[in-house]
Amino acid sequence: MTDPGNSTLGPPVGRPMQVVARGEVWDAVRADLAAYGTAVVHADLADLEPDLPTGDELRALLGRDWSRYLDLAHPEVRHRYAASRVLLKLAAGAVLNGDPNALELAYGPTGRPYLRGCDQVDISLSHTDDLLLVGITTRGLIGVDAERADRPMYQRGLGRHVCTPYELVTLAAQPEEERNPALVRLWTLKEAYSKAIGQGMQFSFTEFGFGPDGRPVRVQRPDGSTGTGDEWGFHTFVLDSGYCISVAVYDAGFGTIGDMDMTTMLDQDCVDAIEGALRNGGGGRRA
Amino acid sequence: MRETDSLEAFLQLVGEELDLAVGAGDADRDLADLPGWDSMNLLRLVTLLEAETGRRLPVHAVLEARSLAEIHSVLERQA
Repeated sequence: MTDPGNSTLGPPVGRPMQVVARGEVWDAVRADLAAYGTAVVHADLADLEPDLPTGDELRALLGRDWSRYLDLAHPEVRHRYAASRVLLKLAAGAVLNGDPNALELAYGPTGRPYLRGCDQVDISLSHTDDLLLVGITTRGLIGVDAERADRPMYQRGLGRHVCTPYELVTLAAQPEEERNPALVRLWTLKEAYSKAIGQGMQFSFTEFGFGPDGRPVRVQRPDGSTGTGDEWGFHTFVLDSGYCISVAVYDAGFGTIGDMDMTTMLDQDCVDAIEGALRNGGGGRRA
Repeated sequence: MRETDSLEAFLQLVGEELDLAVGAGDADRDLADLPGWDSMNLLRLVTLLEAETGRRLPVHAVLEARSLAEIHSVLERQA
């Protein structure tokens, strides 16, 4: 499998960076965001343990997610839920130069997460086993997904629910030992793309696909013809720990942003509107 | 072919085939609250049930299910 996932199409993405307890990775994350407009971090649940707050501190950090956290009955699920939000807020707080507790994680109609009031960045979350994964971009949209590269997937009948006809043919043509990791790669790419566009699995995975590894990666129609252009970047990485990570980034033309600080960065259209109103209206109250 | 008519047998099949710790108390639990559950497990389960029953399942109906009991209901409606 190609690694690093340096498809030549679309916005570039640096190799995912590992976060360890009280680690000093955030300067590197900010550097990736400045260089690429995108940064991806991952953490092992156990490595993040010392950074996980408890009690009132956790409640403050989770904010509106606190009630959802309490609704989760199983300790393991609850713990991972909290840890993924902590990693996201630590990462977002670092790149936005803000207090993680002041960041409010909200969800769109399809469950897609976003940082309320911080539309200069888009975020995506994923976890599998003990791996937590967070993607942040200033370019437009991002989706990330992770899976163990050796998770058994290539089995009778499953491909029909996951692959396009073109992908099924392409997979079958590969050596047997390469089919499973190839399908895991396709799966994570599809999950990442679906998350980026906010659709989840309701957007049938058999209606869009990707080509084989080692070529520029783009979305393809079921027959294998081209579906997206170079506004989308797709990248797959395999970590030493054996996880396959895919990242989908949509470049809306915002590029990289110099000032990411959440306390000083203002939307220019908003600034213009306020300045115009002040010039024209003199600050008078509406009746 | 294995019996999946009863909810208990269905839960047993889910636990054994997907290697998940699933008990009777988990039938109505939100899928997001099941340890080890994820979207790939969902599709593996659909594939497994199709093999067990010899019928194709409406994937969209399964995707809308919020618990294992709801997935079992989809299965029952297809019987």
